[in-house]
Amino acid sequence: MMFEIEFANDGIVAVDGRLDAAQAVKAQAFLDQVEGKCVIDLAKLEYISSAGLGVLLKTHKRIMGSGSGIKLINVNHHIHDIFRYSGFDKLFEIVPANN
Amino acid sequence: MKQKFKRSFNELQNIVTMTESVFRKHGLDPNLRNVVDLATEELFVNMVTYNTESNEDILIHMGPHEHGIEVSLTDYNVERFDPRSASGVDVNAPLDERTPGGLGLYLVLKMVDSIHYEYRNRQSKITFIIDRK
Repeated sequence: MMFEIEFANDGIVAVDGRLDAAQAVKAQAFLDQVEGKCVIDLAKLEYISSAGLGVLLKTHKRIMGSGSGIKLINVNHHIHDIFRYSGFDKLFEIVPANN
Repeated sequence: MKQKFKRSFNELQNIVTMTESVFRKHGLDPNLRNVVDLATEELFVNMVTYNTESNEDILIHMGPHEHGIEVSLTDYNVERFDPRSASGVDVNAPLDERTPGGLGLYLVLKMVDSIHYEYRNRQSKITFIIDRK
């Protein structure tokens, strides 16, 4: 079990694995460096807990302060359920995965 | 299956390993995994975060329940805290009013099918059931 976060070649932030309370510090440290409009590809995100949601929320609020925000793409239905229960579907621009 | 875990977020990986083992052993529906993982993590993290007086490990018990699974977490030498009494979160609030606090227990209460709480001799036991046909 692991969690990785990095910039893909096209500037999109790619995450892979499980974003739980043990990995939230790593994710926050990476996203704290992001400025301006941020697209995060969640195609390989298997799992997210409230700690991970907190990372996205904190980063989204910071970036929104400069007039941009986070766009979440390739969101699978498990992750989308969490976003919906959390009300994140009303806060973020979300593009579901095709399958 | 039951297992004790140290009071550390680093144990989350070992809890997932235990959960995988229980699902495999009992042939449980893999579609339940995300909710089981989420509820177990949120309750475990809550115990680790808010019961800083105890050095005792946290006991987790998992087993099949009709069409799903029953999971209990027991914490020792702890003050009473019934997660069912946790204050709600306004998930419709605008972005500038949203904070991450309280979201974990809110999600647990929303996503499990039932949750029970027992407190006796400074032992706090939370049991949740996810049971979907």
